[in-house]
Amino acid sequence: MTPLFEIESLTHRYGSVLALDDLSLSVEPGAIGLVGQNGAGKSTLIKILLGLVRHTAGTVRVYGSDVTRNGVGLRGRIGYMPEREGVLPGLNGIEYVGLAGELNGMPRKQSLRRAHELLSQLGLEEARYRRLENYSAGMVQRIKLAATLVHDPDLLLLDEPTSGLDPDGRTAMLSLLKSLSQRPGKSLLFSTHLLGDIEHVCRHTIIMEKGRVAASESLDEMLVGKADAYLLRWKNAGDAANDVYLAALQQAGAEVSPGEEIGQARAVVPAEWSTRQFFHLARQAEVTLTGLEPEEMDLRTVYRRLVGMETAMPPLVDLAKRGESGVTS
Amino acid sequence: MSLVKPDIETITQRPAWFAAWPIARTALHLVFRRKLFWVLFAVALFSFLLMFGAIYLLATLRQEYKWLEEFITSRLKDLDGSGTTFLNFMKAQGTVTMILLAFAGSVLAGNDHSRGGLIFYLSRRIKLVHYGTGKLLAIGLLPSLTTTLPALILFIEYGLLGDTGMYFGEKYPIIFGILGYGALLSVAVGLLLFALVSWMPRPVPLVMLWGGLFVFLPILSRILTLTMREPGVRRRHALEESPWRLLDFWNDLYIIGNKFFGVDKPLFIGATIVVCSVCVVSVIAIFVRLRQLQHQS
Repeated sequence: MTPLFEIESLTHRYGSVLALDDLSLSVEPGAIGLVGQNGAGKSTLIKILLGLVRHTAGTVRVYGSDVTRNGVGLRGRIGYMPEREGVLPGLNGIEYVGLAGELNGMPRKQSLRRAHELLSQLGLEEARYRRLENYSAGMVQRIKLAATLVHDPDLLLLDEPTSGLDPDGRTAMLSLLKSLSQRPGKSLLFSTHLLGDIEHVCRHTIIMEKGRVAASESLDEMLVGKADAYLLRWKNAGDAANDVYLAALQQAGAEVSPGEEIGQARAVVPAEWSTRQFFHLARQAEVTLTGLEPEEMDLRTVYRRLVGMETAMPPLVDLAKRGESGVTS
Repeated sequence: MSLVKPDIETITQRPAWFAAWPIARTALHLVFRRKLFWVLFAVALFSFLLMFGAIYLLATLRQEYKWLEEFITSRLKDLDGSGTTFLNFMKAQGTVTMILLAFAGSVLAGNDHSRGGLIFYLSRRIKLVHYGTGKLLAIGLLPSLTTTLPALILFIEYGLLGDTGMYFGEKYPIIFGILGYGALLSVAVGLLLFALVSWMPRPVPLVMLWGGLFVFLPILSRILTLTMREPGVRRRHALEESPWRLLDFWNDLYIIGNKFFGVDKPLFIGATIVVCSVCVVSVIAIFVRLRQLQHQS
């Protein structure tokens, strides 16, 4: 199968600012999430994939075709939805979507017919003759999506599509994107800050950090296999006992990160580790284990860890207070 | 119906050049929705209606008082139905056309640059050159509405109300003159306006700069011409021959426009150099700015 896009040693500079730094990536078609902090290079990457921005160095191919040489042809197969820009005040909904179709090479009649269809499907039937400046934030996002879909593209590049939406609007948009991504032969690249949105829609996730790819793998792979981490809490922890327990855990093969307070730690354990060992070592170090929980791995945790944002252990639920124990010895 | 696969036949993809017309049509559509445009257009049509009425009156006089009609046309070259009639009419439309363009500039293209509309166009299956062509087409059509089109209507009126066969038979080159001068106005003024709008998309600074070019510079040109003229040189001659007159861009276009009607004017070479230079600089300015905006967007 031809990869959706292949990037080799991609570098891009805005003057003296390095936006993308020797980035290499190959992704199969499907629903792909693109996450990263502001300035990580997400929007630049999308614009390079679209052939809008000419990169400084490297090779970028979309559907096997070089974006520098065949940008116009590729844009016929791509639909791009920008985050904030891209609205033409003064036009009404039908004119806006119809124009998008015509700019993609569709005859006017066909483009308008498709615009009517899409606006009905996206719940904008009543507002189609209203001017865009009178649309709400949610309606603007939907009309931009309609303009993105009008020429039936194979790949959707969506930059923050849920930005500015209320919770209901966001849920509806996510369901829509999920249904779009499940159609055969269609792919989407979905850039967002909202990691929950990625988990809802995407199968593959690219995490970007300072112009580089911190991770690029399927969501399942990203979450599975990294779950051998436990959050620990103990009592009677004087400084000495605390250090003894941490040292004992490390000697037994666990990677230990102390928490913000004394009596807390996060431990990543080897595959053959038995949870009984936590209690056994605690007894030896003369501390009382009051909390033991397998760490819940979600995209947020993976992301924070990959981009180095995890400065402190997340708060633990005190198992003793809850009257339950994670694992008994 | 489906969001992805349309029920209609396979999506057709026409060549990218076909996108120029939808771009121009949309830009004009946005201008036509402004009340201010129609006010200015009505003002622009005022002199057209006066000319239209005058031609009608002359035709009536020709039927009953031919000597009077001959007397009037011998005195007023602007009404004799020659190329000069239409050339001068088109030149006289200059002020109102410039005001119209100054106010329409921001709507035609400026908003794309100041409000992020450019990304809407450039993310489609077109290149910068197709976008630029569409916008230039829109900007170029506006002066045509106030100059070329009314001049053609007046020419037809003149022929229909007089000796139709003889007039059209003898004066048909005037049509080419009107179209040629009209095309020159559209291209030169269109390029200049598009270049200014690209760098100065907001309406107020644009109107001020445009006013400076088409009001201040012509006044300055006249003042310099008259104050710097040699003793003994007539005022009329000075205004036709002084190089300071080249500061008046609309007059430069008029000087070149005369050539389309077979009239040679002084300063033709100078005017041609000025107009060509303005066009070349405008093209470069447009290209540089659009590239810059594309990368910033």
